[in-house]
Amino acid sequence: MTTTDAIRVAIAEDSAILRDGLVQLLVDRGFEITDAVSDPEGLRAAVDRDPPDVAVVDIRMPPSFTDEGLRAAMDLRKQRPELGILLFSQYVETRYAAELLADGAAGIGYLLKDRVADVSDFVEALVRVASGGTALDPEVVTQLLGASRRSDSLSGLSPREREVLALMAEGRSNAAIATTLVISEGAVEKHVANIFTKLDLPVSQSDHRRVLAVLRFLES
Amino acid sequence: MMQGDVDVQGAQGAPVEVQVGGKKMTVLSEAHADQLRRIARTIGREPFTKRAWAELLYFLLSALLTAVSIAFIGVTMFLGIVLAITFLGIIIIAASLRGSRGLGGFHRALARSFLDEHIEEPDSFVARPGFFGWLQSALRDRTAWRAMAYCVLKVPLTIFGVWFALSIWIDSLSCFLYALFGSGAPRPGEFGILVNVFQPGFLSVGSAGFFHHLFVLVTGVVLLFVAPWAMRLVIFIDRWLMRGLLSPDAMTMRVRSLEQARAQTVDSSAATLRRIERDLHDGTQAQLVTLAMRLGQAKEKLARGGDVDLDQVRQLVDQAHQGAKEAIVDLRDLARGIHPPALDVGLEGALATLAARSTVPTEVTVTVYDRPTPAIEAIAYFCVAELLANVAQHAHASKATVTCVEHGQWLRVVVRDDGQGGARPSQVGSASSGLAGLTERVRAVDGRLDIMSPTGGPTVVAVDLPLHA
Repeated sequence: MTTTDAIRVAIAEDSAILRDGLVQLLVDRGFEITDAVSDPEGLRAAVDRDPPDVAVVDIRMPPSFTDEGLRAAMDLRKQRPELGILLFSQYVETRYAAELLADGAAGIGYLLKDRVADVSDFVEALVRVASGGTALDPEVVTQLLGASRRSDSLSGLSPREREVLALMAEGRSNAAIATTLVISEGAVEKHVANIFTKLDLPVSQSDHRRVLAVLRFLES
Repeated sequence: MMQGDVDVQGAQGAPVEVQVGGKKMTVLSEAHADQLRRIARTIGREPFTKRAWAELLYFLLSALLTAVSIAFIGVTMFLGIVLAITFLGIIIIAASLRGSRGLGGFHRALARSFLDEHIEEPDSFVARPGFFGWLQSALRDRTAWRAMAYCVLKVPLTIFGVWFALSIWIDSLSCFLYALFGSGAPRPGEFGILVNVFQPGFLSVGSAGFFHHLFVLVTGVVLLFVAPWAMRLVIFIDRWLMRGLLSPDAMTMRVRSLEQARAQTVDSSAATLRRIERDLHDGTQAQLVTLAMRLGQAKEKLARGGDVDLDQVRQLVDQAHQGAKEAIVDLRDLARGIHPPALDVGLEGALATLAARSTVPTEVTVTVYDRPTPAIEAIAYFCVAELLANVAQHAHASKATVTCVEHGQWLRVVVRDDGQGGARPSQVGSASSGLAGLTERVRAVDGRLDIMSPTGGPTVVAVDLPLHA
């Protein structure tokens, strides 16, 4: 596992019980918590006071319990493009994902809250976002794949290629995809190359560019 | 509708201190004397009140308006009926109706400005598309027909008013003029009702001299005090006519109030769903996520093998266990908030459970033979739950009682406590927003909620609900 000593995290979550749980978990995994707050105002203040590497933000927060967290996160991103944002939500809203990724996918994550149950996956996603990568919830990717109007091009992919595409869309690196699917990295690279050819996508080296290319394809 | 000082004050004069056996009579007669003094004062002041003059002015203006109205209606309806066999007649009748509707509006406006009589505006005229649509809508416009009926009925009323009330004003005035200007002024003649009550020419009896003048003056003064009351009677009939014929008709009112109630129900059920969703989202779901997270942590620690920090794992499992129990309790409370299972056995059992759970000792009496519909039972239950919660939180009461009785087709629920009182539904705050919510809930089924909570207590809240809604 990546060393997490240096990663500094701010948490904004209105449920006290979950907030405390997250703090405990992340401290246990060697993260440094700069602050844990319960509303968007608190988050803004916390980030100004002690800028973290990444902020874990609940989408629904007081006062109106709609999408305050998302708004606050986008504002913060505009001021500090280097700040990683991991949005944390009870539901998957494809609209939110599209909004989030409109200005690029670097350092952006969007996960269902349930994902914390698989602690290592969650920690890995957080590390990825903190270091400028992308982490999209499999649920988001499934919805995007399901809603895509490019189903004719997608149907040209082999089942394995579809799996790789989904993992790519989640923001995973070739190495991570290889581990998940229990195949060699070389095989992953071959699949990726095939996918890009079949879907006629521009080849890109960095993972988050790749995510964006895939998502643009799915959304178009 | 006599809204003067008399009845309001009189209502306050009598009751309250009447309880003490022997002293009962004295208290009552003192109150009565007080009441009589007030009545005398009211009569004495009447001719000089703004109201008496406003009513006189109203009568004169509305008599003019009535003359215009009846002239319009008479001519148009006559023409319309004469020409009814031709198509033109129908159009004239429709136009007459549209005009009557407008005249009704003028009458309402007049009453509003001079009598402070606020008659609700009927719904505005909505014509169906096309000329024939307009014609049909105009001919079927109930509001217009009723306004026309008012204008027609207003004619005999106005004649009666002139004969019965205006005549007294005029006679009074002429008496004063005669008394002031002496024999130079024309002799007062009697009009209207006076001629019938006294013989014609009774003011001319004695015909001249100081005593005749004095007699006329005294008569004038007496008439001055009688006139406002006579006028008030006429106006009273007019008000009654207006309420009956110029307001939205009963059907429209019923539809309006049902629409309101339905909108409220829809709103409140949407609000309830949102509250439940919020409770699930912020409560139970967050608890379960945390629980899963702790178990996940423990699982990974155990899976890693080697030297497992058992204390840490035990702590995680312990927290998870605690969280699971809390989630169960929360879920149960939430479910109870949606439909209390205790209600399945009936209101009595459910209320007894509520009372047993309350921190303030509470006595429950339920005398209901005809079991209300489930919706009503649920509303009654939630009212009592909310009210008892308020008693526990705000009233500083030492005991409370809940009574539930049948009143014909109504269920009356009364919650009483001996606390400090001062509960108001309009206040912004924790207790009152609950009360406002209850009021809304109760109104949605055409029920009502009354709060009597003087500062210092006791607080009595009565909820009336239809047994079957």
